[in-house]
Amino acid sequence: MEDFDLENPLTSSKSQEQDQTDMISELFASESDHMPSESHFQSLKSQHSLVSLQRDATSSIVKARFSCNIDPFVAYLAMNYLNRFVSRRGMLSAKPWILKLLSVSCLSLAAKMMKTSLSLTDFQMEEGIIFDSQTIQRMELLILGALNWRMRSITPFAFLHFFLCFFERNDPPLKQSLKARATDLIFKAQNEIKILKYKPSIVTASALLSASHELSPMQFPCFLQAISSCPYINKEELLDCCNLMQDVVMDGYGSIVFDRASSSDKAVSALDCDFLTSESENTNNMSSRSDIIRSEAEIKRPKLSDFCCNETFHQLSQQMQRC
Amino acid sequence: MEKYEKLEKVGEGTYGKVYKAQDKTTGQLVALKKTRLEMDEEGIPPTALREVSLLQMLSQSIYVVRLLCVEHVDKNGKPLLYLVFEYLDTDLKKFIDSHRRGPNPRPLPVSVIQSFLYQLCKGVAHCHSHGVLHRDLKPQNLLVDKEKGILKIADLGLGRAFTIPLKSYTHEIVTLWYRAPEVLLGSTHYSTGVDMWSVGCIFAEMVRRQALFAGDSELQQLLHIFRLLGTPTEEQWPGVKSLRDWHEYPQWKPQSLQRAVPSLEPEGLDLLSRMLQYDPANRISAKAALEHPYFDTLDKSQF
Repeated sequence: MEDFDLENPLTSSKSQEQDQTDMISELFASESDHMPSESHFQSLKSQHSLVSLQRDATSSIVKARFSCNIDPFVAYLAMNYLNRFVSRRGMLSAKPWILKLLSVSCLSLAAKMMKTSLSLTDFQMEEGIIFDSQTIQRMELLILGALNWRMRSITPFAFLHFFLCFFERNDPPLKQSLKARATDLIFKAQNEIKILKYKPSIVTASALLSASHELSPMQFPCFLQAISSCPYINKEELLDCCNLMQDVVMDGYGSIVFDRASSSDKAVSALDCDFLTSESENTNNMSSRSDIIRSEAEIKRPKLSDFCCNETFHQLSQQMQRC
Repeated sequence: MEKYEKLEKVGEGTYGKVYKAQDKTTGQLVALKKTRLEMDEEGIPPTALREVSLLQMLSQSIYVVRLLCVEHVDKNGKPLLYLVFEYLDTDLKKFIDSHRRGPNPRPLPVSVIQSFLYQLCKGVAHCHSHGVLHRDLKPQNLLVDKEKGILKIADLGLGRAFTIPLKSYTHEIVTLWYRAPEVLLGSTHYSTGVDMWSVGCIFAEMVRRQALFAGDSELQQLLHIFRLLGTPTEEQWPGVKSLRDWHEYPQWKPQSLQRAVPSLEPEGLDLLSRMLQYDPANRISAKAALEHPYFDTLDKSQF
């Protein structure tokens, strides 16, 4: 009865009749309750140390996802808990073991919510520190209290179906590919701290648009038009986030092709597996962390158009900004 | 838990004692429900985690009693969970009783019945749209704020980890009066209709000021239903005779529903009969009930 599916967070069982319209408005109405607070994002901007702390905590979850073969949705949910917890309670202290405890406990809660079995011991072995069950339990309770037990997070996955309906062509295999690619991008984007300030629905819309730009460029203009005229969507935010999503897309293979204006930016968002497994690289990237925030203030974010080979995207994006 | 002062025991919930308490700093009145969930080696039990977070989501509706927070206390090193709910001064059972007995017995005002039923349907529609069945709707589980005329659903969403079927925590027999016939007949694949049956029984009880079907055993409960609505037939309810606990029952003809609720107006009677359909598939849904002409005279803008 109490099933929880990230694509359908408001319903606890698939068998009951649902009213889609009511559900959608409820999703949009409550999505902000499941993201880090605005003030948190502001303090991330002003405190470099906070960024690196947050990065350390999230990195162990990302690492676990690969090394312990954890369901990516569980890892995603754990990261959502972690970000919300930090935004409400602060980082407690900079002690590395507390960050590890926080990551372990968020993963443990996420696995329980999604009825996935998870060996916390494997994960902790990986991390080189093992907590006794009472300690994890206390941390779990602390997290639950901070999040007020609102553990059925509304994440970008909840909006995939809704925005896919705006895609004009009735081509189920294509839609399936768009969904798969967007899902992939949403996973990748979670490692980009700057994405945290966007509402989950905006992240979904941007991921789907980027996917369609890649997989179905002909339909892209209509898709963009349709999504941006959706009453729930703030066009400006959407375009901003689309630009950021484009950076995420480029992270996979872009660095080889493009000589990027802000290479430090790349270091931040490349919190992926390769980045983490190599110790030497890790150190290099750490040293560039303090530059990141500065670079954000000084260098204007490279626009989508800087990377974009497709003129249509560029033109439309300009158009949208004007209207 | 030191932040609350227990004032009095207000009830025995299905899964434990319920206390009226006061937040020492804010003065806010709350209802404290102790759960019997204890932590194990795996930390917080997964079922409790999922159920409480489901409850947390559902309690965002104003038609559901709000879960304010969850507190834990250490008992011999093991944390115990307390659910802290908003406090409402009475429940529908006490409210109906106060109109039946005491110094001033009188029918419930028609507008109150209409408004309470509407709020009940709103709350039930909310739960159903989130895929949750209540399964134990009864006047004791509907909390009422007399002054503001507000009704909210309580004791919700707590399935396996909290409720014990048939016998409650205190071994008090759980009431069967609001139980749908398909549940009494042993159907295991029941759905939203079970709650709508209960809503129908509660509607009738508000009008009559006494229970519509007051059976003291599962068989007696069925016979009460059959005596008023007639013994169900295969035509009326396809598949009824294949239900697990179906037996041959005396054959009763349906009585006029109006005789059970003589003071109810025709639109109300029509709505009630739609809630008390034998075949769960024919029973009106909570959402459809909200659109029923019975509520045409209600000022819906207040909800």
